[in-house]
Amino acid sequence: MARALLFAGLILASGAAWAQQPAIPDEDGFTHPLRSLEFNAGLDQTVFENATFQALEVYDPFEPVNRRIYQFNYQLDQWVLLPVVRGYQRVTPRLVRNGVSNFFDNLGDVPNLVNSALQLKGERAMRTTARLLFNTIIGVGGLWDPATRMGLPRQPEDFGQTLGFYGVPAGPYIVLPVLGPSNLRDTGGRVVDTGIHQQVDFLNYADFSGDHPELLLLEAVNTRYTTPFRYGQLNSPFEYSKVRYVYMRARQLQIDE
Amino acid sequence: MPRFLPVLGLLCLLFAGATGHAQELAVDDYEFPLANPFEATVAGTPAHLRAPVPAYDDIDQADFSLSLNPERAFKLPDNFWAVKKLGYRLARQPGPAPLIFIIAGTGAHYSAANVEWLKRFFYGAGFHVVQLSSPTSYDFIAAASRFATPGITPEDAKDLYHVMQAIRAQQRDLPVTDYYLTGYSLGALEAAFVSHLDETRKSFDFKRVLLINPPVNLYTSISNLDLLVQANIQGLEAEGSFYELVMERLTRYFHDRGYINLDDALLYDFQQSSHALTDEQLAMLIGASFRFSAADITFVSDLINRRGLVIPPDTRINAGTSLEPYFKRALLCDFDCYLTDQVIPMWRALYDGGSLNQLNQQVSLYALEDYLRQSPKIAVMHNADDLILGPGDLGFLRRTFGERLLLYPLGGHCGNLGYHVNARHMLEFLRG
Repeated sequence: MARALLFAGLILASGAAWAQQPAIPDEDGFTHPLRSLEFNAGLDQTVFENATFQALEVYDPFEPVNRRIYQFNYQLDQWVLLPVVRGYQRVTPRLVRNGVSNFFDNLGDVPNLVNSALQLKGERAMRTTARLLFNTIIGVGGLWDPATRMGLPRQPEDFGQTLGFYGVPAGPYIVLPVLGPSNLRDTGGRVVDTGIHQQVDFLNYADFSGDHPELLLLEAVNTRYTTPFRYGQLNSPFEYSKVRYVYMRARQLQIDE
Repeated sequence: MPRFLPVLGLLCLLFAGATGHAQELAVDDYEFPLANPFEATVAGTPAHLRAPVPAYDDIDQADFSLSLNPERAFKLPDNFWAVKKLGYRLARQPGPAPLIFIIAGTGAHYSAANVEWLKRFFYGAGFHVVQLSSPTSYDFIAAASRFATPGITPEDAKDLYHVMQAIRAQQRDLPVTDYYLTGYSLGALEAAFVSHLDETRKSFDFKRVLLINPPVNLYTSISNLDLLVQANIQGLEAEGSFYELVMERLTRYFHDRGYINLDDALLYDFQQSSHALTDEQLAMLIGASFRFSAADITFVSDLINRRGLVIPPDTRINAGTSLEPYFKRALLCDFDCYLTDQVIPMWRALYDGGSLNQLNQQVSLYALEDYLRQSPKIAVMHNADDLILGPGDLGFLRRTFGERLLLYPLGGHCGNLGYHVNARHMLEFLRG
């Protein structure tokens, strides 16, 4: 009994130590969180302003055109794409939609594999190969994604990243009609990835979809369905600048990682 | 950790709470994993400790919009088309049910993460849910605010009330049994004012009103938030800008992990890794996010009222116009600057003068002290380590709310809103 108590006491004590008690509360119980911070003595530092101004410096020579395309995309999304996605969600059960997403993801693993190999990322290429095998064979042509459950998550790599990996600069920021934010390097990369898609013709999809444009439509709907981005969600008059920074920085992150 | 001990302590505390004192939880009984208020504010509750909520596909919801200020559409340039009507989101139960309005926090859209989480939780508990953008958000200022100068809480509450009435008219077929109201952060302060307004206008006759982490003294709160970007950041010489420093850490973290995953657990896992940010860096991050809100408010309010502080009144804007020069100017203005440049002059003109102290008295919880003390239907949840509070604020809440104050030892600013203990308490109060 005594031992059990001691044991419980020890656990409680260690828990408390791990929780590193914050500052001692005043008589109201308030812990004054800001008092633990170290502040700039003059309260005149411009770290936030400097960082933000620097983030706004993205090479964007086509800004007026880009902004117009951005507005066009926003309206297209609002009045056409999202209503279509809602209709798609209404007429298909979730199981079917997941199957569709998995199928296109599986096709997309082909460029992922090629680009992992091109960047000499051996382990990643192996894992993507394993994904392709498991998902195509056990997952019946990719309709199901057993690989992720087996601890092989999807690791997207595209030709834009490959170019970035070999030091090709991003070039000017470009907003593509319908497709959205990009830059010169990634736009080129997109073209190459489509070429890989066509050349490899995995599961005969490229060939087959040539005769069946409805498949391309499904692919487009699925792409919008699986893209969480919503225009207006940042809810800022400066959304264009914010999205631009996030896009460029996220691409850099993907390349560096 | 033996699970029954804390539970026992918690029960004792809850039952002992009926004596007019605030209901308080001790750190050990609460078992919230983030002892650091800055981490809690940024990362929120880890996914496995959140209350269970229904999946998105199981929620019958849609977005609607209201045209509240038709003449505003002519004042705004065409490329602001998206905010000429006010959007809101409604999740409806299949049959008659109580309806709860959720008011978002500073600058937040009705689809912000905290609002979405509250929606899912209340929907799961059987409520119809209406999600409202904050009166300080871009869309609300543009589409629904009469003065387009948010910050004068009683006026913001009137705008909100107008919106809520318009929503009820638009959704007149919805079978509602009772009305409830909640809000977090600034939205909680506004909820208190809306409830007060409803006592005379009687449109909704709210059954329960729940305030989650409200500012008590609004001026203290905005001063605290403005101060956060003055936290001392080390090591900027090497990394360049502050964002680069954060991105650098994130890159290294993903590199160690082997892949990128942007899920709910990201921030929590990141802070547990060796690349974790310091308190000062977290404070800077929180401060920066509020500065972006301040910039949006400053710009939109100035644009609509043609004050010429950020953007010259005769500027022509079309879809191709770069807004960067105005963005930069607005970024230099923090909450205090917005208050001084835009709110106070307008408030003086509207109410025949007055000092900053008088304004602060009118727009803070103090203005409602008697009402809050006498209204058993209103409760407040707060955290002992909330960054937006100052000395004496908890004392005010204790005196005013008594046992209707639920005080948590941890959570920072709204970081414990999804925690299962808080969620359970929310329902206990609303259903009570």
